[in-house]
Amino acid sequence: MTPQRFEILAQAYGGDVARWPSAEREAAGAMMIEQPDLAAAALARAGELDALMDAWTPVPVSHALRERVIAAAPPPRARNGIIAWFWGAGLGAGLAAACAAGLVVGVEISNVAQPDESVSAALDGYDDLTTDLTGDGA
Amino acid sequence: MDPGEGDEALLARVAAGDPAAVRSLVARKLPRLLALAGRMLGETAEAEDVAQETFIRAWKQAGNWKPGGARFDTWLHRVALNLCYDRLRRRREVAMDNPPDLADDAPGPDRGLQARDVGRRVAAAMAALPDRQREAVSLCHYQEVTNIEAAALMGVSIEALESLLSRGRRALRVALSDMIEP
Repeated sequence: MTPQRFEILAQAYGGDVARWPSAEREAAGAMMIEQPDLAAAALARAGELDALMDAWTPVPVSHALRERVIAAAPPPRARNGIIAWFWGAGLGAGLAAACAAGLVVGVEISNVAQPDESVSAALDGYDDLTTDLTGDGA
Repeated sequence: MDPGEGDEALLARVAAGDPAAVRSLVARKLPRLLALAGRMLGETAEAEDVAQETFIRAWKQAGNWKPGGARFDTWLHRVALNLCYDRLRRRREVAMDNPPDLADDAPGPDRGLQARDVGRRVAAAMAALPDRQREAVSLCHYQEVTNIEAAALMGVSIEALESLLSRGRRALRVALSDMIEP
């Protein structure tokens, strides 16, 4: 590599040799050993501009943009969609419905299952009937 | 997100309707695309539009992507650059009808060089570059794509790319000379 080529590369790609074309880096390294003053001056000049350029930082991605981009993506497959719906919107409604149903059934059961002498008597009668049917009755 | 998962594998999962893959691909690519569009256009709202439109095209392409062909990242850059050029062309057409007032971006005597100002000065200097020089500098310096990829994206030889880079950086140095020690 000639000193002129080293200078051209620094002007084009900047002061960090690691960002130069891979095919040129080895020769550039040799130039830095053979002519350290020349190489250091070229890299320092380019590096000053690099540092200024890096002060221009990119705009961060906003939440709104990210969500717009995601919303435009291919929809989930049907099976996934059903699962997603269930776990997303459906689960809350399902749990609420289940709670409401449980409350109603619980009230009904509590109404039916009150201790009652007539029920006890009927069950006693059923026990007798079963005994008769099996032929084991006294 | 599996950082080791390749773009093509991720794209295949996107095509299969995997919402996690969509989020991973957006997290991986959107900041870079927005940065590229921002460098090329110098305007946030337009850059966001370009980034969004690029992804819309990527989503349409996801199911047809041929493994082993062009790199997905290169393809995304090409689409984004084309969209940027469409907008730059439209701007020029409008500008010819309504020439803008030219602002003086150089610092005044009582204006210190705050760190934030340096970024603004660089943005203004980049905006003043010819489009092809700005594209070359954006790709090689800011996007850190290789010279081979940048040349391929721009449809020029390596020598032509280096010429664009050198001229672009020289113009930036002149525009920012008051901030560079002699």
